[in-house]
Amino acid sequence: MFSRLLPRTATRSALQAQNQAPHILRSSPITCLLSDRISQRRGYATPAEEKDLVIIGGGVAGYVAAIKAGQEGLKVACIEKRGSLGGTCLNVGCIPSKSLLNNSHLYHQILHDTKNRGIEVGDVKLNLEQMMKAKETSVNGLTKGIEFLFKKNNVEYIKGTGAFADEHTVKVNLVDGGETSVRGKNIFIATGSESTPFPGLTIDEKKVITSTGAIALKQVPKKMVVIGGGIIGLEMGSVWSRLGAEVTVVEFLGQIGGPGMDAEISKNIQKTLAKQGMKFMLNTKVTQGDDSGEIVKLDVEAAKGGKAQTLEADVVLVAIGRRPYTSGLGLETIGLETDNKGRLVIDSEYRTKIPHIRVIGDCTFGPMLAHKAEEEGVAAVEFLTKSYGHVNYGAIPSVMYTHPEVAWVGQNEAELKEAGVKYKVGTFPFSANSRAKTNLDTDGMVKFLADAETDRILGVHIVGPNAGEMIAEGTLALEYGASTEDVGRTSHAHPTLAEAFKEAAMATYSKAIHY
Amino acid sequence: MRLTRVLLQKRQPLIKFLGKRHTPKQVDHTPHAHPASPTHELPESFASYRTRAQQHGPLGAAQTAQPYGAIGGRPGRALGPVEPKKGEYWDRNELPKRFHRTRWTAAEMEALESGGASMFG
Repeated sequence: MFSRLLPRTATRSALQAQNQAPHILRSSPITCLLSDRISQRRGYATPAEEKDLVIIGGGVAGYVAAIKAGQEGLKVACIEKRGSLGGTCLNVGCIPSKSLLNNSHLYHQILHDTKNRGIEVGDVKLNLEQMMKAKETSVNGLTKGIEFLFKKNNVEYIKGTGAFADEHTVKVNLVDGGETSVRGKNIFIATGSESTPFPGLTIDEKKVITSTGAIALKQVPKKMVVIGGGIIGLEMGSVWSRLGAEVTVVEFLGQIGGPGMDAEISKNIQKTLAKQGMKFMLNTKVTQGDDSGEIVKLDVEAAKGGKAQTLEADVVLVAIGRRPYTSGLGLETIGLETDNKGRLVIDSEYRTKIPHIRVIGDCTFGPMLAHKAEEEGVAAVEFLTKSYGHVNYGAIPSVMYTHPEVAWVGQNEAELKEAGVKYKVGTFPFSANSRAKTNLDTDGMVKFLADAETDRILGVHIVGPNAGEMIAEGTLALEYGASTEDVGRTSHAHPTLAEAFKEAAMATYSKAIHY
Repeated sequence: MRLTRVLLQKRQPLIKFLGKRHTPKQVDHTPHAHPASPTHELPESFASYRTRAQQHGPLGAAQTAQPYGAIGGRPGRALGPVEPKKGEYWDRNELPKRFHRTRWTAAEMEALESGGASMFG
């Protein structure tokens, strides 16, 4: 009983106040108050320790920072409210979507691309439930793997929703009930992002879905409309198109793939996806939607004004982008500010205006990519432990996992033109690559952009098989400040798809051999 | 000799090994705009907060010697063992005041002796 009355840690002033007004002991609500005050005064023999680092959010940015901090010997706690680690990426983003993309591609290939390869297959049926189970197995394996890494690196995993109580304290509403609080000398905010809703449409994750619903549909829709022709829209559109849905992509801009994709590459992949059965409506805006009935109706018209028409769909995928997720974090309690897009404002060392509170990942500046968040997690911890860290925002690759894949790093032609940079271009098609030929998978090309004078690589853009893996070489070259000649004079094994990469580099400073 | 000259005239790759990585001795920790910031500038609040803030000692002083403050700048493990050397003893009263023994107040003593009943009396 006494321990409850006199629990731990505290200031003398609190008890002085009690001494000055002893009568308050007699009132029961105030007794609680006094008890709290006393509790702030006297500590137990082993008071709750202050962590070196508290991380709010166990997504890619948060968990990577937590593991790195554990490796560096910091006492670290990571707060995650989802109940499983890995954030959007592992639970409802990159990982489950890649499982569906891979398996739906296999299904589509078995259905449509086996006879000319000399493989006769019998009755091919889709078992969507099993495909979803395969996805869940991958996801569970990976999220549990992170929990193991937490234990291995002495990271305390707190399951709950964190909110700032003050600049050093985070109050946590625990998933299993109750609450606790944790103090940190340093605090990282890594709360990620959420899908941007479309005004006028209610997301129910059944008829009107975001990427979260798109990886968990119970049946293949007959008609699907995708609002937004960016990476998420095209990947999830691809999945359901391969499984049998009639997919129409409505995009406000004049090209698919989002703003970073090179226009030539974008046209190339659009042509290929159209061949696979996807329909595209570019320069088109959705003016309003009606999701009150069984079928969702969307009114669309040309972006610059024009004839309106109504699209009908069983399922509408809203993929118009993502926005930082910081609600409920108690930013107002400590006076942290966000910019006009909801991003937390930080300096070059990830510090907010309160220097011991840093922000990493989707909820601050930069592209919303898991690998960018991962880099920031490591760099931010290094700023704590080594006083310096580094992320090169000019060499962060982007990948779209359609088939063929699209990948790029550095600048595209439009960006170079806008910056007034003189550049040269070298391309090589996969149709001239021996490995692509043997794989009967020859759609696409590799494109280099290099400084016209120095030959330094400024951008690499790939559409084709294995582009997502191949871009790693481009990123390394860009990071090292390589010239196209450096790449072109580096031996690449034969026969590999990577030879297309080398030949495109050769085509930039000289001529390709096989084209 | 001639062969060496010919070899040296060959193309030099742009990618070169720069040698073992060294920790920079002087790192400028004054706040600068984040490279991916769309505005390329920091709000006024960054400077004003630092001017008035006092966290683990004055921020301004901490920034020069230990950028992250005397406390919390390094992991506890790096600070070494806390036990006194053999034959040495520490007197609690020599420690900063916050480590001194907290005196029992009359109210606490009463609570103790009454088994906590005085808190509800």
